[in-house]
Amino acid sequence: MDWAKHSLEKLEASREARLCSKPPQLGEGDAKKILNQYHPDYLGMHRNICIGPNKNDGNFPHELADLLEADSQLPIDFEPSEDIETDVLIIGGGGAGASAALALEETGLRVHLATKLRLGDSNTVMAEGGIQASLGINDSPRRHFSDAYVGGHGQNNRDLLRILCESGSSAISWLSQLGCMLDRNKDGTFQLRPGGGTSLSRVLACRDYTGLEIMRVLKDAVLLSGTTVLQNYAAIELLDDGEGQVTGAVLWDRNKEKLVTVSARAVIIATGGSGQLRFNSFPTSNHLGAVGDGLVLAYRQGCRLINSDSYQYHPSGSVYPEALVGQLVTESIRSMGAQVVNSEGRRFVDEMTFRDVLAASIIKEVKEKRGVQTLTNRIGVWLDTPIIDLQNGQGFLQRKFPGIVHRFARYSIDPAKQAILIYPTLHYQNGGIEIDKDGCTKVKGLWAAGEVTGGLHGTNRLMGNSLLDIIVFGRRAAISAQNSLPERRRVTLTRLKEFRASLGINSARQQLLSPQLFPTQTGMKISFERKVIMESQDENSRSTNQLSFEPPDPFTK
Amino acid sequence: MKTVTIKVAGESIQARVGETVIHALWNAGKAELIKTGCAGGVCGACTITVRSPEGKMKGTDLACMCPVEEGMEVFPCPVDSALTVAPEINPNEEKLRKAYPKLDRCTKCGSCTSACPMSIPVMDSVLRMRAGQLDEVADDFTNCIHCGLCRFVCEDGVEPHMMGMWVRRSIGSSAEIEEKKKDKDSREIELEWQYLLEGSSTDRMNNALQFRKSGKIQP
Repeated sequence: MDWAKHSLEKLEASREARLCSKPPQLGEGDAKKILNQYHPDYLGMHRNICIGPNKNDGNFPHELADLLEADSQLPIDFEPSEDIETDVLIIGGGGAGASAALALEETGLRVHLATKLRLGDSNTVMAEGGIQASLGINDSPRRHFSDAYVGGHGQNNRDLLRILCESGSSAISWLSQLGCMLDRNKDGTFQLRPGGGTSLSRVLACRDYTGLEIMRVLKDAVLLSGTTVLQNYAAIELLDDGEGQVTGAVLWDRNKEKLVTVSARAVIIATGGSGQLRFNSFPTSNHLGAVGDGLVLAYRQGCRLINSDSYQYHPSGSVYPEALVGQLVTESIRSMGAQVVNSEGRRFVDEMTFRDVLAASIIKEVKEKRGVQTLTNRIGVWLDTPIIDLQNGQGFLQRKFPGIVHRFARYSIDPAKQAILIYPTLHYQNGGIEIDKDGCTKVKGLWAAGEVTGGLHGTNRLMGNSLLDIIVFGRRAAISAQNSLPERRRVTLTRLKEFRASLGINSARQQLLSPQLFPTQTGMKISFERKVIMESQDENSRSTNQLSFEPPDPFTK
Repeated sequence: MKTVTIKVAGESIQARVGETVIHALWNAGKAELIKTGCAGGVCGACTITVRSPEGKMKGTDLACMCPVEEGMEVFPCPVDSALTVAPEINPNEEKLRKAYPKLDRCTKCGSCTSACPMSIPVMDSVLRMRAGQLDEVADDFTNCIHCGLCRFVCEDGVEPHMMGMWVRRSIGSSAEIEEKKKDKDSREIELEWQYLLEGSSTDRMNNALQFRKSGKIQP
């Protein structure tokens, strides 16, 4: 990293002085000011949408608004006829979907889980830092609630948040019974780490592979359960009975390239987030499929979306090397002492403040020319990781964060010896489908759980609350669906027809189709009767794709 | 920017120096050539084999973690998931052997270890399984992404990643669950919830700000 030699020298020169220094503290007013000026959510890059439950109500990032107003992928003359009959159809193969499937074990219900990728290919598996539960001394669900409520700017749905916080302990027990190995102390108690914005140590982890550990176990348990897993089946439309009840879905079988109609008494949407839509041209830490499918599907059925302008830009996404751009460097590495330092070798913010404030502070630092530029013209600030071993003894970083060490080793970077460059990366969809405390949407027959829902985290989520969210609300949605399972009703596309009519769509010619299923950058699309039209579109998007290398530069508009 | 030419499944593709095989495929509009999941090195979907320009075997890898090199040849190598066996309480090598009888077929060739994209000492760990050192095995497989490459390359069909999972889940589910900490009495709990949930939005925010300092209602 010769190109950063000058700045690295300053970083190293200031390390000893920083070792025992207190982090700079922002006043409440200053934090608000920085958010207003620098956080992408606050810059007004949103628009209204002209159709559906949120018509002229709520701001949406342009990329998402376009998809919500787009036509369905389904051919105009497609008529559903039942191929699969099930009781509960779960859409989404991440942590929320898997938890829902497991909650329905031994209920005697037929359960199908459809995922457009493979079971477990999700944001859950990529989570690193941990899962919150108020197990510590002086901690309680109320304190957990207070932290999340302050962090979420008081925009949280209090009923949902209370349930989340009260369910921490039982969620951890459930995971342990399934065989999740979360890090423990010598006396057998769980290790608790601090998280950004937690008032005390409350985060349980499995090194820096917490999501991998949880997803691996959930996946194994689902495969051993009676759930029928439909892998590589993408949901492209929900079905209804013509009287306002969701009654199934149309899936696209990616392997056989054909449409499959599923009749279900209950549908649970657990499709996750939308970081791959790359709002404001940010890189993302999200998996391939995170393009907001569930929002689109539910919206067409009449579900309102809330806090739809709120996204989490994780403060520490990698900036260098190029191959790792946008990928997560866990927050818990900061909770163990790593400091955020500018090009002058100075700390400028409390590393353990709320994520949105920290991300905005980093953007501010870069805008004010105190960032470090890479050879590919990306700019970031330092995450001083070597300081961790100085504080905790040699080998500590390797023991606690083998994932980070492994990923950077390939590029001859040892985070124990060499600081990492970071910049905010699009990480989490704070808003989403409105649900009640049982995961019910406003539409009969339709439940939702996990990142696809909104309200729980307000407008800024705390570390460790999303892994807890998917376990708690994935299970609750399933139990609620079981308890109030509607009778089977016919499958029609009435809602879609109404939607198309209100959009003024009467032919198959429409520029944009949704759900999008995959990032536009990949050029991956499904093609059936519309093949001809799509190919001509493809040519256009290809030519622009070739110009723009991936991932996009976060600093150009 | 410098570019290189690579071959994926026989197709030539231009790629930027510094990017991964996956991103090169995206830019070339050939994303479908390799099945992808997280694109972040932890889901194990995008398994490949790689040959260097001289035609010599470089080995297995994850396409999303593999930087492009001039002349490299990449072959998709998807691994089907294997049948899994339910974990057992208080595991030992006998129970493991019963669950996965192929354990003893390991010929110590070391292929699994060199195939592992996560640098797990797979073969050593299989030997530890045979010796019943299951705590060490659980530790070895902490970062196993279950890509299945170890099974894919094993000439004897041993399934190290499945056994690693079985050991971890068995040990994990045998561990004692921490006793639930005693909370305050229910009247006090209800008062605290009232304090946090009721009143105007300004009151609630102020109360939450206060409560998180000590975990108590300060008079």
